[in-house]
Amino acid sequence: MSTWQDLVTASLIGTERAEVPRPGIPGMPPVDDGASGDPAALLLDQAALLTAAHRAGRRPDHAEPLAQAAPDPRPAVSRAAARRLARMLGGEQPDLLVEWLTAVVARGQRVPAQLLPALLDWASRHAPRRLVAEAAGPRARWLAWLNPAWQFVLVESPAGDDAWRVGTTVDRREYLAALRARDPGAAAGLVAGSWDMAGAGERAAFLDVLAKSIGPDDEPLLEAALDDRAEEVRGRASHLLAGLPGSALGRRMAERARGRLRLEGDVPGLRLAVFPPTGTDAGMRRDGIPPGPPGGRSGPADWARLMLEMVALTPLGTWTRELGLSAARIVSVPADPWTPVLFIGWSRAAVGQGDAEWTAALVNRALTSLPAPADPSRYSPAELQPLWHLARRADPSLGAPGALAEPGPDTPQEVRDAIGVLRFRYDMLKELDDDHGAS
Amino acid sequence: MAPDAPSQRTAQQLASGRAWPVTGAAEPGALWGECRGSAAMPYRTLVDLSGPAYRCSCPSRKFPCKHVLALLLLWADGAVRDDPSGPPDWAGSWLAARAGTANRAQPGETAEPKDPKAAARRAEQREARVAAGLAELDRWLCDQARQGLAVSQKYGYAHWDDIAARMVDAQAPGLADRLRALASVPHSGAGWDGRLLEEYALLRLLAVAYRRQAELAPPLRETVRSRIGFSRRQADVLADGPPVRDRWQVLARRDLEQERTRVRRTWLRGAETGRNALLLSYAAAGQAFGDSLAVGTEADADLVFYPGAVPLRALMKTGHEAYRGGPPAGDTIAGLLACYAAALAADPWLESWPAVLDVTPARRPAPAVSDAAGDAVPLHPGAGDCWPLFALSGGHPVTVAGEWTPRGLWPLTAWDEGGTAVPL
Repeated sequence: MSTWQDLVTASLIGTERAEVPRPGIPGMPPVDDGASGDPAALLLDQAALLTAAHRAGRRPDHAEPLAQAAPDPRPAVSRAAARRLARMLGGEQPDLLVEWLTAVVARGQRVPAQLLPALLDWASRHAPRRLVAEAAGPRARWLAWLNPAWQFVLVESPAGDDAWRVGTTVDRREYLAALRARDPGAAAGLVAGSWDMAGAGERAAFLDVLAKSIGPDDEPLLEAALDDRAEEVRGRASHLLAGLPGSALGRRMAERARGRLRLEGDVPGLRLAVFPPTGTDAGMRRDGIPPGPPGGRSGPADWARLMLEMVALTPLGTWTRELGLSAARIVSVPADPWTPVLFIGWSRAAVGQGDAEWTAALVNRALTSLPAPADPSRYSPAELQPLWHLARRADPSLGAPGALAEPGPDTPQEVRDAIGVLRFRYDMLKELDDDHGAS
Repeated sequence: MAPDAPSQRTAQQLASGRAWPVTGAAEPGALWGECRGSAAMPYRTLVDLSGPAYRCSCPSRKFPCKHVLALLLLWADGAVRDDPSGPPDWAGSWLAARAGTANRAQPGETAEPKDPKAAARRAEQREARVAAGLAELDRWLCDQARQGLAVSQKYGYAHWDDIAARMVDAQAPGLADRLRALASVPHSGAGWDGRLLEEYALLRLLAVAYRRQAELAPPLRETVRSRIGFSRRQADVLADGPPVRDRWQVLARRDLEQERTRVRRTWLRGAETGRNALLLSYAAAGQAFGDSLAVGTEADADLVFYPGAVPLRALMKTGHEAYRGGPPAGDTIAGLLACYAAALAADPWLESWPAVLDVTPARRPAPAVSDAAGDAVPLHPGAGDCWPLFALSGGHPVTVAGEWTPRGLWPLTAWDEGGTAVPL
């Protein structure tokens, strides 16, 4: 190699100033000077000969072998599911990855190895890392050992008590979530015991952890949180209580809702008359209905907002009971000009209460004809946002072929997107149940 | 779609009817216009919206240039009217060629000779131009060696683009491509000086070989000529060469983006003959490739090879049937290096050679693959981290296909434990 290096050095300096070395190659005649005797040409000719010689005469290197990854007994997801995962990691419906990963873990399957690097990159930027670590299995731990950026998967799953006492906010949250999964009561007790010492952000985070599996035992804590100093805590508490079947808040909201919707007319010309609240009292504000702007006018615009907030927190069963109709019927009764307000309020309530019947009714309603908004030419994002949530929380069987009507040419893009999400979720879960190896 | 903000600004200034005495549009999706500029002749601008593809007679090196952008802005404003008489002559031929052969563009391919005498005269002229161009290249290369390569790190792209442009004028496009690619070598990290010297040395070897082509055996002469840029017509290749029938395993695929075209390299290996083959396909920038050979399948097909000292590039004459195949048989690293050495002995300019190896990836002392005998070769630094390859292996041996080059292995395909090909 030193002969080659001599040539490189001479070529860097240039033959105007450097002598051209004359390296001999074993078994080869010396390079002909050529008729010109140009040292530059001689340098290049020798370099060509040595280039061919060292490329062709290359010897193998040696490399340190790596330890082998522990085996993962779980079968990989089907090839169709693997292709879908690649598309999701590439930016198609990425917010459904959590649902996909949860479904993979629940079915005892694993992520195909070649997609682990992209998945780990995604997880290093987004939560939930623990779910990713579980779906990815021992092969991901082996990779994390090679690439420090992925070391989060090496964190032991049941974080020790230290994580709670001295850990970061994320550590504490994950500890609480793990404890909640093992022993819900102990987690609630831990939250109650730590409540007064925690900052507003952390109190809100506690409620987010509890929110995944809220139960009647959590009601006293949530009811107390309605009086919290921080607005973000109060808002979460009222939202969670509204979604808790049989809660006192739900009963209070049902009481306030009484008589606010009435059916008028006969069956073909049936319509809903709306009697909105025209102001808030202390009890309403405590339960999560924000007052209007201070000194603001209490006009019809504000009444619509109050009605919407009230509907969003009221148990959906209230309406079916009061009106004596099914959810599908109620959402199709015209209520102009209140239809958009009711649609948004019900949609929020359906998301919060996880009500499958109302969700299906609202999605189908959106598909056949969205409630006419004030300006028929466009829907505001606020009006269509509940649909975004609905499509992600609804029973995925709504995405099955034939379960929903085909969107017409006038269907707004947001509704098409929602249907796209539902179809995507149906397909992605079905794929995971298909036979392995099928494509 | 503007290449940069200044282009967009100047394009907006240009997008007024006054600067454009002639504009028109015709189905399907063709726009043309003449733009008054500083030159005496107006610039002629063409857009094929289906690509999109563009062409403009201006000397700008930006792509698309401001004239193309301005024409598109005019069109978006509804200021370009449909012209029922169709595109003018200067526009029509390019648009028609694009419409007909968008996916089959073969750079450097010559048209069917109409008049044998004229064709012979053109061929003679071309040989003379190439010879003059190569003499100029040889002088340029020797100048580089005389002045020293140390200054190369200070040069911009223009240093290589200028000599490349002269090779285009000399009708030696193969050399032009090779020269243009050199601009990045001085900034390619440690060892750049040796790599640049290798390239200059091999280019001079090509110039010398062309000068002395009469002394070369016909296959080597073909290799030299094809590397310079003399291309054979596909029809002639198909007519001249004997077809080789085999079950061709589709080993790997690599797409390369060039300035205005995309090149797809598909590597095949015959299950019976063990022969390697390389299929090239071309597409305009931004367009999809027309072919459909999926990696991991096997195609029962007749291939015809381009002549050369190491016949590698091939055309598919007749495809019989394609079906899913298992992993190909892997070589050892010693076997790969021996095959590559034999190929280099016949064609010293050979850069990429197909590799199929049964190996385990390793990280130290540098990313590499290692076989059962303990032999290792490095991974190509340009191939990145290759994490999917490591993930698939998990420290166990895998079958890997890729391109072997002087800088290392560029892995392209690996087969998982179920025998399914996974593009990397």
